[in-house]
Amino acid sequence: MGFGKSQPIHVIRGERPFQAALMSALALLTLLFAGIIVSLMTYTDWDVLVATLLSPEILFAIRLSLITATISTAFAMLAAIPVAYAISHFQFPGKSIVDTILDLPIVISPIALGAALLVFFNTPAGVAIENKLIRFVFEVPGIILAQFTIVTALAIRLLKSTFDSIDPRYEQVGRTLGCTKLAAFCTVTLPLARNGLIAAAILTWARAIGEFGATVTLAGATKQKTETLPIAIFLNLATADVEKAVAVIFILIAISVVALIFLRRISSTRYPR
Amino acid sequence: MIEIKDLSVNVGDFSLIDIDLQIDDQEYFVILGPTGAGKTVLLESLAGLHRCRAGTIWMDGTDMTSVPPEQRQIGYVPQDYALFPFLTVAGNITFGLRGRLNTKDVIKKKVDTLAHLLHLSNLLDRDVRTLSGGEKQRVALARALATSPRILLLDEPLGSLDVKTAKYLRLELRRLHEELGVSTIHVTHNLIEAEEMADRMAIINMGTVEQVGVPEEVFFDPRSETVADLIGTPNILDCDRVKSIGHGLVEAECGGISIILPLHDGGIKKIALFPRDIYISASKPPGPELNRFQGVVQDIQPFSSLTRLTVKVGNNQLLAELPKDIFEEMGITIGQEVFLILKLRRLRIH
Repeated sequence: MGFGKSQPIHVIRGERPFQAALMSALALLTLLFAGIIVSLMTYTDWDVLVATLLSPEILFAIRLSLITATISTAFAMLAAIPVAYAISHFQFPGKSIVDTILDLPIVISPIALGAALLVFFNTPAGVAIENKLIRFVFEVPGIILAQFTIVTALAIRLLKSTFDSIDPRYEQVGRTLGCTKLAAFCTVTLPLARNGLIAAAILTWARAIGEFGATVTLAGATKQKTETLPIAIFLNLATADVEKAVAVIFILIAISVVALIFLRRISSTRYPR
Repeated sequence: MIEIKDLSVNVGDFSLIDIDLQIDDQEYFVILGPTGAGKTVLLESLAGLHRCRAGTIWMDGTDMTSVPPEQRQIGYVPQDYALFPFLTVAGNITFGLRGRLNTKDVIKKKVDTLAHLLHLSNLLDRDVRTLSGGEKQRVALARALATSPRILLLDEPLGSLDVKTAKYLRLELRRLHEELGVSTIHVTHNLIEAEEMADRMAIINMGTVEQVGVPEEVFFDPRSETVADLIGTPNILDCDRVKSIGHGLVEAECGGISIILPLHDGGIKKIALFPRDIYISASKPPGPELNRFQGVVQDIQPFSSLTRLTVKVGNNQLLAELPKDIFEEMGITIGQEVFLILKLRRLRIH
């Protein structure tokens, strides 16, 4: 056996069929996803793709998606950090009910959630908000609100597991070293949670970029007004402009791949300085 | 001075009940107890990390029972040290000095002093995750001492270290205590650690204090069966004649055998020796004859991991313990003559 050569994997008798079954499932699923991407590539004329990407409509959709997803992610993280910490660290009556309510947006259909928001803005309270504060229905702020409602639950779930994994002993030591509870949270827990926070922000942002159901219901699908990338796919497919739709799909795939690369890099380092 | 009066604390299903303790200024106080006895909960309650159900904690005449941890001026070293992994060694040491109106010069001077004291000077820029167990322990100590605490709380500080490092750090902890004079409460389940380090000690079990006293009091006069079980039943030899043999040593006649001991202020009336501190040999061991005796095995009691022998030496019946595998290898039987070596430094004098 020479250096640099991979060593053969010795399988204990009886384990081979099990291992083969698992590897087959793995291969099938990878082939399915790869096949979808390859089929998109074969369908695409690359000159048309580049031209489409540079069209004003798609550039608008890219810009709108990036801006709305970034804003909704910022709001979602601001809301999720204290909520996730509270659920992770405090015991209170009705905690499981609160936990279930906060999880609802993860499991409920996004269209149902969008419709519920739309109904809310038809109630007196909703109408007052629309008339006196800010207009959400069929407007850009509606996109942000729809994304926020969907992705905050995800951010809370991700951050809760991050806070759960931090030994409370660190915060206790921080307190004996002169920190108030708030200061210990800011100077001990948040730095310890740094990777989890970044990972949660990336996943939340990626989810917000791809949000469609609640957005289309609350903010509508108006070309170059509330046209995010998923809505652009919907609108172009509706008008049978498949090449444009495919171009947008490629953009979403590229964004997802970049997000996943970032996530992998973060999960491979603990507490980067 | 720290006074704990009738302290009761509930943490989950566990309760500390009516704890009464007094720790003097500059005292090294050890809390000894088995796992789950409530040692850590007591330490955390002193640090202000648990709400007290009843009772009070006084420090230097001030009632600290409801004072939050950040205002108690305590240094706390938890069992696993809990060093902040996102900071360097220097960052960990200076953590408690931030925001205390300390200038950069004051902080640097403090860090340099502590680094020198705890032999950390060449580690200051190191990532704490790359340190050895002993180094981590010293960083945790430096971090706790940086804020000039009134009291130092050490939770099993040597528990996760190998025997050699733990032995070295026991000496270091005592040296540090003598140099700084900070009242220290040290929690451990290790009897040898307690006995070597303590000015006074408290035995705690199932959330209550069983006995408080200097180690000799506890060893020679365990007040309850729990304490006796915890410290193990020592051989107690009554000594009648003691004569000086020079070089700071005395020869004590204890039940027909002569034991050489270090000179002890106030005379020697009794000697306590734990069964685990007697070596047994089937053949005559080489070396000087100091504290070596010949005896006859009277009884053999097997336990799960060790075997306990009763050996008649002079007029004394001494209990000795051997690991089970070594006992089986030696093939000792009742009535056999064996040789005993008493570990001089493990003899406790009353």
